Amino acid sequence: MNLRFQAAALAGAALVLPAALRAQFNFPIEGREVQIHSFISQGFAYSDENNYLTMKTSQGSFAMTDAGVSVSMRITDNFHAGAQVYDRCLGKLGDFHPSLDWAFGDYQFKRWLGVRAGKVKTVLGLYNDSQDVESLHTWAILPQSTYPLDLRASTIAHTGADVYGTFAVKNHGDISYTGYVGSRSEDKFDGYEYGVTSLGLYYKSESGRYAGGDLRWNNLVPGLLIGSSFLSGPASGAGNFVSPYSPILPVQTKLTYQLAAYYVEYRFRGLTIDGEYRREVLNGAELLTGASIPYLLDQRGWYASASYRISRLLEVGTYHSRFYPLWDQNHGDPEHHIFDQTVTARLNLTRHWDLKIEGHFIDGYGLLYSLRGFYPQDNPHGLKPRTNLLVVRTGWTF
Amino acid sequence: MTRLRHLARIAALASGVITAASAGDIRIIANASVTADTISRDDLQRIFLRTMVSLRDGTPVVPVLQSSGSAHETVLRELLGKSDASLVTYYRTLVFTGRGFIPKTLDSNEAVAAFVAKTKGAIGYVSADTKTPGVKTLEVK
Repeated sequence: MNLRFQAAALAGAALVLPAALRAQFNFPIEGREVQIHSFISQGFAYSDENNYLTMKTSQGSFAMTDAGVSVSMRITDNFHAGAQVYDRCLGKLGDFHPSLDWAFGDYQFKRWLGVRAGKVKTVLGLYNDSQDVESLHTWAILPQSTYPLDLRASTIAHTGADVYGTFAVKNHGDISYTGYVGSRSEDKFDGYEYGVTSLGLYYKSESGRYAGGDLRWNNLVPGLLIGSSFLSGPASGAGNFVSPYSPILPVQTKLTYQLAAYYVEYRFRGLTIDGEYRREVLNGAELLTGASIPYLLDQRGWYASASYRISRLLEVGTYHSRFYPLWDQNHGDPEHHIFDQTVTARLNLTRHWDLKIEGHFIDGYGLLYSLRGFYPQDNPHGLKPRTNLLVVRTGWTF
Repeated sequence: MTRLRHLARIAALASGVITAASAGDIRIIANASVTADTISRDDLQRIFLRTMVSLRDGTPVVPVLQSSGSAHETVLRELLGKSDASLVTYYRTLVFTGRGFIPKTLDSNEAVAAFVAKTKGAIGYVSADTKTPGVKTLEVK
C-alpha cells in the first residue's frame, strides 16, 4: 500500500469512524452505572525543513492518527473499575498496535484516602495522564519539552498501586496527593526504540520498579493551581552496539532515572495561563566491553502558555517551550536546545468535534539521543537549525 | 420586587451566607433520602466536580446536571467558576484517566426534579420557580 493511499485511507477512516464510534453509552448493569466513552483524532503536518516526529512532514503527512475507548463501571458506592484501549500511528511510532492504556480498580475509603491498583495512568505534572486525548487541550501538539510524543511510554502509566486523597483547606481550596509504586510500561513502538536503534544500539531496557508522587493545591485562590511531581526508578538495560566499523559489542547500562516537575495553572473566565518546569537526570554507569564509564545526563525543559476562549466557537493561544538536552553545556548550539514558539486557533465546531490550526516555529534540534522529534534516519541529508511546522488536527470525543 | 431581591442578595453576601435563592434564582434540590438540610458551598462544588462521592454523614451522593439553560449558567458562573466547555473538559479528563464518571445530565428543570425525586442520594439544581414535588430543598451556606 503506497503512502498516499495509506494517508487517504487514514483520513477517510477518521472522517467515518466517529459515526461508528459515537459510543457514549451510559447504562446500568444490575443497577450499577456503566459508562463507555471514546475519542479519535486525525492530524496533518507540513514542515519547510526537517522531518519531524518520524513523519515525512517536509512532504506533508497525514500519519497522525489516534483513538481510544474506555469503559468504567461503578461496582459499589466506593469502588469502581475500568479499562481503556489506546491506539496510535504517529509517523513510524505506534504503528496502529493497540495497547491497554489503563485498567484498574479504585476504592475510595474516605475523601482523603483511596487506593488504585492495576495499570494506572501516572499523575505527573499538569497533563501527563491526559496527554493522549486531543480534545482536552488547546494545542494540536503539547509542549514537547515536557510532554514528548516520542517518549510517551516512559512515563504514561505504571503497573502497580496508587494511594491518593484530598484534604480541604478552609477558604483556600483543596490539597490533593498521589503516591505510587509500580513497573514502568513498555512500548516497543515508542520513540525510544526507534531512536536508539538508529544509533546502532539494539537494546532492551529492564523494567524495574519505580516510585513517585504528586502534590497539588487547587484553588489556593480561586482559579489557581500549583503543584509538583517527582518520579524515581531504574533505567537500566542491556544489548549490543552494532556498527559496520567494529565487531558487535555488548553494552550494559546501570542507571537511575529521576524526574522532578513543578507546575502552575491559572484560570479566569476564558483565560488560561499555565507553565511547567521539568528536570530529568540519568545517573550511573555504562559498561562497554567490560569497561565501566560514568554516565550523567541532566536534561531540563519548561514551557509557558496562555490561551483565551473568545467565544463558544473560537479559542486562541500561544506557548513557548524550551528543552535543553545537556544542561551543563553551551545552550547556543542547535544540538543543545529545542525551542518552540507556537500559535494556535481552536475551533469547537460542535460539543463533540473540534479543529485546530497550529503554527510551530522551532529553533534547534537537540542531540541524536535526545529522542525529541528530530531523528537522523528521517533527515538523511542532515538537520537544519530551524523548522517551521504547520499542524492541522481534528478530533471527536463522545 | 427585583430591587428587594437585589438588596437581600447584598445583605446575604455581606453576612457571608449565600443562600440558594441568592445564587441567581436557583434552588439546590435533593432526594428525600438525603438527611442533611444544609450544605456548604464548597461541598456542593466538590459534589458536582465529583471529588466528593458521599456527604459528610456518609450518604452516597448522585449529582445531576443540566445541559444548558439559565440555572446551568448560574451554577457554572457562581458555584463552579467554569465555562461549560471547561466543565466538559474536566469531566472528560476524569473519564479518560479512569478516575471518575460524567454525571447524569438532563435537558430541563422538570427532568432534573423528576430524577432527583426518584433517585436515592441525588442532588441537583433547578430554577427557583420550578415545581419540585417529592424533593427537599437544601440551604446553601
